[in-house]
Amino acid sequence: MDLTPRTDEVAPPPPRRRGKRWPAIAVLVLVLAGGVVIVTQFLSSAIDYYCNVDEVGAKDGCEAGRRLRIQGNVVEGSVASEGNVTNFVVEFNGVSLPVRYDAGDPGGIFQECVPVVVHGRFTDGVFVGDEIEVKHSNEYEAQNADRLDQALTACQLEA
Amino acid sequence: MNRNEGSAPVATTHTPSTASAPAMTSRPRGAGTGTTFTRWLGIVTLASMAAVALFGLVLSPEDVVQGESVRILYVHVGTVWVAYLAFVVTAVSSAAYLWRRTHSLTWDRIAGASAEIGVLFMAVTLLTGSLWGRLSWGTFWVWDARVTTTAFLFITYVGYLAVRGLGGSHEQRARRSAVVALLAVIEIPLVHFSVKLWRSVHQDASVAGRTTDVTLDGLMLFTLLLATVAFTLLYVWYVLHRQRVMTMEDALDDKGLDLALAERRREAATNGVSNGAPSATGEVTN
Repeated sequence: MDLTPRTDEVAPPPPRRRGKRWPAIAVLVLVLAGGVVIVTQFLSSAIDYYCNVDEVGAKDGCEAGRRLRIQGNVVEGSVASEGNVTNFVVEFNGVSLPVRYDAGDPGGIFQECVPVVVHGRFTDGVFVGDEIEVKHSNEYEAQNADRLDQALTACQLEA
Repeated sequence: MNRNEGSAPVATTHTPSTASAPAMTSRPRGAGTGTTFTRWLGIVTLASMAAVALFGLVLSPEDVVQGESVRILYVHVGTVWVAYLAFVVTAVSSAAYLWRRTHSLTWDRIAGASAEIGVLFMAVTLLTGSLWGRLSWGTFWVWDARVTTTAFLFITYVGYLAVRGLGGSHEQRARRSAVVALLAVIEIPLVHFSVKLWRSVHQDASVAGRTTDVTLDGLMLFTLLLATVAFTLLYVWYVLHRQRVMTMEDALDDKGLDLALAERRREAATNGVSNGAPSATGEVTN
């Protein structure tokens, strides 16, 4: 039986993990690059994702002259669509704002009484949007025949 | 690493196996990663996953505002819960590895297995979130606080797995990755409270921890809790198996080292007899 301790070996220690190191390094480089992109996006966009309607022209970063993302509730009965254009009014904290969305179907669960975020610019007092995100609440309620009447007045749900 | 399992392991294992040739085809006892416990766990997991499918797709109701798309909720929330849990387990195991009294590579392997499963589940969270976003928000991706921080958490743990693959000894791997795991886990509260800290398109939590004000329909809530339990069972099942596979990989790695050392030793011994003297005289002449 060979009881020689390993320490007296002249041979160099054999390589571990059979030289599969570079894929891990490549992934790490990608992760670091991705991290930089995400942090940049976070600082430039995520911290203050939108301005509320009543903050336009009042809050820092919500100046009417620049491209904005504005959040408000779609006012009941204000939605009018013809062709590619949807006109509606958003309201928040008692201040309302007319919006013209000219990029086709707003998408998502866009409807009256839901809170939306509209991306766009002001032209002649109207906020012209080219992108809409529909915020939905964290409330989930079963839809069934008995409560169809409730479903129609979604404004009450949002309140 | 320091296991010395005899000088010629290849020769000793081969002789008895020839006597029982049919036994070679069937799996030797204890060679797989399954035990009685994991087999039962697997059965319970699969049954509960089937129940989730039944409740999630058939028995639970549509939502008043979102309609059918609300069903994504069960997978989306169930998987992200498991991902959080997995990353916390990774951090706790890493701490247990670093702490002198509980120092063991088993903790490191649990940490690694847990992180792998966590990354897998978080990928499902991001994917389902993206699809749900398309249906309800109207867009696949939003650079808002919740989505951005979640993406950051995800790639952090992809980075953690890459750090585990950097090579070196098992102890080096364990030490490096444990430090990363303890730093990365701090991001979880940031992600969870991002919808409160910053303005977000994403909704708040419906089943919050401290406030008992649950804003979910009864059967929806039941389905969500069922999904959370089922995904947690699935996580435990996966981690147990993955951790055992990692133990085998490490053992194989050590075995490879032992064999390589034995080879070098034999090489050195033969070189010492035949080449040792000429090289010594060569040095003298130079």
